[in-house]
Amino acid sequence: MSETFKVRVNQLPVIEVPADGSQSLLEALEAAGIETRYHCRTGFCGACRSKLHEGEVEYVNDPLAYIRPGEVLPCICIAKSDLILDH
Amino acid sequence: MRYSTFNQTNANPLGEPMFFGNPVNVARYDQQRHSIFEKLIEKQLSFFWRPEEVDVSRDRVDFQAMTDSEKHIFISNLKYQTLLDSVQGRSPNIAFLPIVSLPELETWIETWSFSETIHSRSYTHILRNLFSDPGKVFDDIVMNDQICRRATDISRYYDDLIFHTQLWQTHGEGDITIDDVTYHVTVRELKKKLFLCMNSVNALEAIRFYVSFACTFAFAEREMMEGNSKIIRLIARDENLHLTSTQHILNLWQYGDDDPEMKEIAEELREEALEIFTSAVEQEKQWAAYLFENGSMIGLNKEILCQYVEYIANLRMQAIGLDPQYNQTSNPLPWMNKYLVSDNVQVAPQEAEISSYLVGQIDSEVSAGDFGDFDL
Repeated sequence: MSETFKVRVNQLPVIEVPADGSQSLLEALEAAGIETRYHCRTGFCGACRSKLHEGEVEYVNDPLAYIRPGEVLPCICIAKSDLILDH
Repeated sequence: MRYSTFNQTNANPLGEPMFFGNPVNVARYDQQRHSIFEKLIEKQLSFFWRPEEVDVSRDRVDFQAMTDSEKHIFISNLKYQTLLDSVQGRSPNIAFLPIVSLPELETWIETWSFSETIHSRSYTHILRNLFSDPGKVFDDIVMNDQICRRATDISRYYDDLIFHTQLWQTHGEGDITIDDVTYHVTVRELKKKLFLCMNSVNALEAIRFYVSFACTFAFAEREMMEGNSKIIRLIARDENLHLTSTQHILNLWQYGDDDPEMKEIAEELREEALEIFTSAVEQEKQWAAYLFENGSMIGLNKEILCQYVEYIANLRMQAIGLDPQYNQTSNPLPWMNKYLVSDNVQVAPQEAEISSYLVGQIDSEVSAGDFGDFDL
């Protein structure tokens, strides 16, 4: 059993996402059956912009969309800890 | 303050605001106040494409098979997009270049406008293929009531900013009377006009294209007009990037440390900015009603299109710090996303999943039997 992080999105039941960075956060949400918002999936349009309440993410690509403090772009980041977010 | 094409004041570009500081002199990118604009330029350049690279020849057959109401939808959308890109291919240059103060932003504006001219050229490419004489379609753009109504609203903020900038650059601040009308020109008033204009451009890039995009991709879902759809995907990818730039500018004013006066103005004109956005949404809904006045098309109708406009408007409003105004929180057209994913956009026909190419391709299957009479 590989390691996972616990992610709570929009106060839905907690889901588990792989901790090895094999999926972007957006892909992990999709795999868990959560309805996602996205367009470009490469970090420039900002359509997937989400609010991160708790936890840490790491960007695998340079985000081009404007990110205000507390916001993340799930399409180009991976979870680095357990997370609580609004998507 | 007269514009100079090479301002000899030795200003430090790192200390300048985005607009209404010193005019740019040296086009240098070794140091940047807002490095995001340099990144956007690089992204836009990496997106470069030419309309002629996309084969639209099969679309003519599809177009002839369309019902009259579908033809109306298709052609009206092309006319509207032609209007939008005609405006966008020149206006950022004319309105923003005379007042911009950062080299990276100046070059971004030029790169942005240039990419809109490619869009304009692609509409001619599409229409030439559908009609032996596309002239009538273009001629109608300035005569069609529905299009003209939108043109007025889109161009007025630009025109207002351009006119007052011209007054300021020729006469300086103060009351200026021309043809018995007195204009009160101050830099603060100009900044207000800039703020409203940028909000109007942001709404254009965020909302105005999407009714048309949805119709195009709805045709593509039925495997119709796929050449056209491929071009529109490239356009949509560019427009998403342009939208990011206007979102950056609006956010840098509000939350960044760009220009304290712009921050005050953004606060002061918040209601007007919201009004610009919501009226763009209403106009797009009216456009959807006009498109479907002769009947709808398979997979799309006025109601669902209006829901999509509201859904996307909510996202776009949050992106510039406005509160979402609509109840539509889920995506009523989930298939739209796959056409808006940047990775799926490919120009070369052999890389794409378009059936017009697959139909014409050489059979590449080789079985062992094909080598039966082969001797060395």
